[in-house]
Amino acid sequence: MRKTLILLLAATLIAGPAAAQLRLPVVGQRQPATPPVPLIDLLRAEFAAQSGGTTVYFGGNSSVLGPPARTVLAAQAAWLRRHPEVVVRVEGYADPGDTRDHALAIGARRAEEVRNYLILLGVPAAQIGATTWGKERPGPGRAVTVLVR
Amino acid sequence: MRANILKIPLIAALASAAVAAVAQQAEPGVPAATVIAIPPMTTPDTGTRGNEMLAIAWQATQIIEADLRQTSELVPLKPDQKDYYSYPEVTAPSFSTWRAKGARALVTGFVQMRSDGRLTFGCYVYDIDKRRELARRGFVVAANDVRRAAHRCSSLAYQAVTGSPANFDTRIAYVAETGTPGNIVKRIALMDSDGRNHSYLTAGDTLVLTPRLSPSANRIAYVSFSEGSPQVRLIDLATNQQSALIPTQTTSFAPRFSADGNRILFSMMQGPNCDIYVVNAAGGPAQRLTTAPGIDTGGSFSPDGRQIVFESDRSGTQQLYVMNADGSGQRRISFGGGVYAAPEWSPDGQWIAFTHRGPYGRRIGVMKVDGSEERLLTTGPNDDSASWAASSRELLFQRPDQTGRPGLFRIGLDGSAPRQMTIPQPGSDPDWSGATE
Repeated sequence: MRKTLILLLAATLIAGPAAAQLRLPVVGQRQPATPPVPLIDLLRAEFAAQSGGTTVYFGGNSSVLGPPARTVLAAQAAWLRRHPEVVVRVEGYADPGDTRDHALAIGARRAEEVRNYLILLGVPAAQIGATTWGKERPGPGRAVTVLVR
Repeated sequence: MRANILKIPLIAALASAAVAAVAQQAEPGVPAATVIAIPPMTTPDTGTRGNEMLAIAWQATQIIEADLRQTSELVPLKPDQKDYYSYPEVTAPSFSTWRAKGARALVTGFVQMRSDGRLTFGCYVYDIDKRRELARRGFVVAANDVRRAAHRCSSLAYQAVTGSPANFDTRIAYVAETGTPGNIVKRIALMDSDGRNHSYLTAGDTLVLTPRLSPSANRIAYVSFSEGSPQVRLIDLATNQQSALIPTQTTSFAPRFSADGNRILFSMMQGPNCDIYVVNAAGGPAQRLTTAPGIDTGGSFSPDGRQIVFESDRSGTQQLYVMNADGSGQRRISFGGGVYAAPEWSPDGQWIAFTHRGPYGRRIGVMKVDGSEERLLTTGPNDDSASWAASSRELLFQRPDQTGRPGLFRIGLDGSAPRQMTIPQPGSDPDWSGATE
């Protein structure tokens, strides 16, 4: 476990510029080494950097994955296959103009579509959960892959 | 203000012979207002107690006036303490006096203290033109429940004049929104329809949506994110006990009670598919009603419980459909351009309210149950979540202000302008109960 952590720290440091863009949690600016960056945050940063993003976008009332989304998800799947110990949750979001109930459904459907695509690309189903936020968070129609543990 | 009061009797006088006593059908775009006189109520009690009762009677009179003034159908004359009448005149009013002031309907009444300390309210409604009593009713209430007695008297007057159930003794549930943009705290809130007795039913630590009152306003079904994904939960308002509607962790939402309170419709995800289910309000297994691929949601029972209106995107865009209560006979009723969503069947069974999404944004509209007589009532661009008043003549809906914070508005089917309700903070997802008596 500790070895993994060190490796990950090294990986994060090597991926310097990319990590900076991703607004990594600032490590030890006030008091070096305390509190330590949680492992999950490091994993999240690495996942985001190496899969080209955690988020894929959809057209209005659509859950169809376009080529850009498929590219991102292929990279996510590759990373997840290398990290079978990691569990993710795909969170689906509707468009702000959607009506409340439909928004919950379209968010769930988008999350399900992403989850199914990741499974198709070889990620074990047990590694991926899915949920919906409907239109309850600002932003466009999308699905975000969030590392849970 | 005086000019308004003088003008309206003229309009009313020009209207057909269908005067105050006649139940008028609610027709969108056709304003119809009846002027009603509410002189200060009286009392048979005398001495100190008589004065106490007169004070309560005056309070009740003012509440009745405020109630009736909220409506599109009645225009109350301002009560004037100079118009005090004696106890015998409760049942023998001076019709000519009120006709001379332009009124076509009249409310009289009295307050009397009982030997047990409670109060008896007598409430009488008259057709001034026909010099005839339309309705009378007595209410016994606790001494501190004058407001409720007054609401019931308002309801009696409204129903006697318009023929429709009234909204005064009803509850409104909605989602109270506080916090900052991007970090909105949502709580289920409940209040009387006049804004009194406001309370919060959830703590704000969990995202909550779409509260739906049972017809007698003793339970609320709503959507909670307490388990991570949205799920329908129930609150028993007498005990404050909370429970999940169905035992599974599956994503569920869009709850709505049947008019008899015995069944609850909801929507549940199965993979990418969303379908409508029904479950006994007392519990038990859920029955699936729709199977079409796509998103079927927003189910709302007809008042007789035999049919359900819902929205579905099975055609490619969200449209309104009607089906029998067992899921059979599904047929589309909306055919205009744009998106039709969030339907609710009116308590009188005549209308479907909905949200329409078009190039101008979201607006509230109504159509007949067969899809005819469709019209938009509001101007948008971000109106949503229409809920019927018990009268079927008014809707409550949400509309954001310039800063994007949502408020609750009432609008009549008669084409009058929306009126904003006063609530302690921004609010969304309103739901108006039926008449609770």
